[in-house]
Amino acid sequence: MAVYIVKRFAMMIATIFIIATLTFFLMHAIPGSPFDEERTSNPTIQANLEKFYKLDQPVIVQYGHYLKSVATFDFGPSIKKPNETVNSLLKRGFPISAELGLITILVAVLSGITLGTFAALRHNGIIDYMAMAFAVVGISVPNFVLATLLIQQLAVNWQILPPATWSSPMHMILPTLALATGPTAIIARLTRSSMLEVLTQDYMKMARAKGLSPARIVLRHALRNALMPVVTIMGTMLAGILTGTFVIEKIFAIPGMGKYFVDSINNRDYPVIMGTTVFYSAFLVFMLFLVDIVYGFLDPRIKLHKKEGDA
Amino acid sequence: MKKWLTFLLVAMLALVLAACTATKDAGKEPDKKDDPKPETEEGTEEGTEEAAGDKILYMNNGEEPTSFDPSIGFNAVSWSALNNIMEGLTRMDEDHKAVEATAEKIDISDDGLTYTFTIRENAKWSNGDPVTAGDFVFAWKHMLNPETASPAAFLAYFIEGAEAYNNGEGSAEDIAISAEDDKTFVVKLTSPNEAFPNIITNPSFFPINEKVASADPKWHTEAATFVGNGPFKLTKWDHDVSFEMEKNENYWDAGSVKLDTIHWAMVNESTTSYQMYQSNELDVTDVPAELSDQLKDSDELRIDDQAGLYFYRFNTSMEPFQNSKIRRAFGMAVDREEIVEFVTKNGEKPARGFVTYGFIGPDGKEFRDTVGDLVTYDPDEAKKLLEEGMKEEGYDTLPEITLSYNTSESHQNIAIALQSKFKEVLGVDAKLQNVESGVFLSDQKEFKYQMSRSSFLHDYADPLNALESFITGSSMNRTTWSNADYDKLIEDIKNETDENKRWDLLQQADKLLMEEMPVFPLYFYNSTTLEKPGVSGILRHPVGYIDLKYADKN
Repeated sequence: MAVYIVKRFAMMIATIFIIATLTFFLMHAIPGSPFDEERTSNPTIQANLEKFYKLDQPVIVQYGHYLKSVATFDFGPSIKKPNETVNSLLKRGFPISAELGLITILVAVLSGITLGTFAALRHNGIIDYMAMAFAVVGISVPNFVLATLLIQQLAVNWQILPPATWSSPMHMILPTLALATGPTAIIARLTRSSMLEVLTQDYMKMARAKGLSPARIVLRHALRNALMPVVTIMGTMLAGILTGTFVIEKIFAIPGMGKYFVDSINNRDYPVIMGTTVFYSAFLVFMLFLVDIVYGFLDPRIKLHKKEGDA
Repeated sequence: MKKWLTFLLVAMLALVLAACTATKDAGKEPDKKDDPKPETEEGTEEGTEEAAGDKILYMNNGEEPTSFDPSIGFNAVSWSALNNIMEGLTRMDEDHKAVEATAEKIDISDDGLTYTFTIRENAKWSNGDPVTAGDFVFAWKHMLNPETASPAAFLAYFIEGAEAYNNGEGSAEDIAISAEDDKTFVVKLTSPNEAFPNIITNPSFFPINEKVASADPKWHTEAATFVGNGPFKLTKWDHDVSFEMEKNENYWDAGSVKLDTIHWAMVNESTTSYQMYQSNELDVTDVPAELSDQLKDSDELRIDDQAGLYFYRFNTSMEPFQNSKIRRAFGMAVDREEIVEFVTKNGEKPARGFVTYGFIGPDGKEFRDTVGDLVTYDPDEAKKLLEEGMKEEGYDTLPEITLSYNTSESHQNIAIALQSKFKEVLGVDAKLQNVESGVFLSDQKEFKYQMSRSSFLHDYADPLNALESFITGSSMNRTTWSNADYDKLIEDIKNETDENKRWDLLQQADKLLMEEMPVFPLYFYNSTTLEKPGVSGILRHPVGYIDLKYADKN
């Protein structure tokens, strides 16, 4: 196990290094510079700015600086926000994105599993149809459409919730709803189908024959096994939600990380592009690393397979 | 099973109830008052509804200000705040004229080169220090220091020695700005410039408290350390979320300031901002482009001229646009009226010359009106010009035309309108090409496009600012067009001290530019905003920065 973890860890570092290098060269391959704007392009001003950000040096020297900044995780000042360092942007933005992401995951997992379970238990009943109708809508309607609809109805027409910003628990309801609906629907469908499969298994008959209470049968025996596929997709979903909330953050004016990530590319704000990309990819790779390890603990069959394969 | 179900049901019920209670409270507030903040609501409850309460104006700044270092924050998101928490020697009045502000007197020498500003005795910083001439010297030299890398520095190149210092050839001592004494500030220009008092209303020319800045170079990064000299003082700055400014009792003209507090949100999405406006969380908002048609008759809509225009550039070294007749043909095939009425739908004025509305000459007449329509929609003339141009160049068929613009729905709509007019009037099948904005700007500067979208916004209120862009080799030219007569005209304008003659030269330049047509104008910009009833006194200038000094809310 320890060897496996060390191996995986070394691969993780290598992956991050490759991503960082690719990012750097791709970034410099895009035409345009952070100072390309419609209004000012006085040559002297441009030269002063380039010197200030060391962009006047050869690319290979810049690459050296960059590798150093990746290693020390210090990306220097942002070009578009000269008062701030990339690190301070990350420090400010990430907790907010993470908060939004975690609440969303929590809501999605709880309501998705509940919905899916009920749908499976009342297979082909009215609850099932309603839950699946919801799931289809939830998967098909993009979250930014839902977000705008929610704001218009709940915040503007009925005025029961604040339309935007991230300043109190009340403010968190709409963005969470908008963001959680899609994942909820996915989890609900997944839970339902694997639950249906589990419910027809022989050991379910066995459990019933033993005279266990229905609640115990569902919670202990059925749901537990039915949740494996849900756990499997959680890894990618988590990464997706924690990192891919840019549109929702923009619509609700949430000061999270997504904005820095996308804006920096449009603005060619090199230090911020590098900082956010390295941060995101490190985070993602680390998540996958964790999931791999946790997976080994969760499902005994996976570990068995590995041992057989090794031998 | 039952227990579990009951638990779930109870939990859900609790959630719904919680939401409902919160709901009722939240629903009531906006009806009673405009304040979305419960705390302020409580505070004003005792007084008789509105009159006794603090006047808090809720604005939206769109995004985090780039910097409150006046030399660095060179964009609207910084200016909208800076113009209210700091003040320069001059400030724009209701008629968009630069008048004395921190300076109480401005003396100009006979040759128009030396400006002597006398600073008000009672001009003070928000920390109580007096504003001195030294603070201006310090701030302007800070802007011109090449190591500051200020994007605004070029605006100060009118000052003797400024450009040399900024490009590293000269030294700070050689800049012709000096503090004669604590309250007398003297500037010498390279050539007479009537626009100078106007140029220095730009926040880049605001003073910096030398004592504060020398002690703490990061003074401008947080509300706690920020020291300004404007009608308001910065009291809160929650980065990327909001900032707040309160009335500055140390301001020399504090008596004119009516608002107690201004709260600035940072909501970048214009639809969201509009929705916040509808639910009374904002008093002022921009009009989202998609809703401009729907809101055009709203009582709360306000339209202000903005000095700047939307136009297209020809590349005069690419076929077929080396020929001025062909350029004119394309320019005249465009129906500007139709574009503002059916495409942009924002109430803009069609542009029939390059210089915008809002410049009044020494004769008291509008520049644009005196010059008249230099380019109009004229299908017959356009066809004729195209034929003549093709004959001159020996074309049987016109080379392929590609129209480039940076990716955006509104630019695309305009490009489509142009494309269909070129087809209809000239019988030309133009291709459309959209390019990501950063790539587009860099390619345009490298002259890679045949015909490309562009825009211009004034840095200061003088026609020269716009016209100067097209002298040979200017970084704003981007057409490869070069015309010795035009270069000479601009040179003469810069050296002309007689107001009337100068105005006449400016008009000649606009005419020559439109005759040669390296660019064709489409429409002049405006700004459309919504203001809640009861909000008044917000100044928006064609060139300039939002001014809340006289703003009020009832």
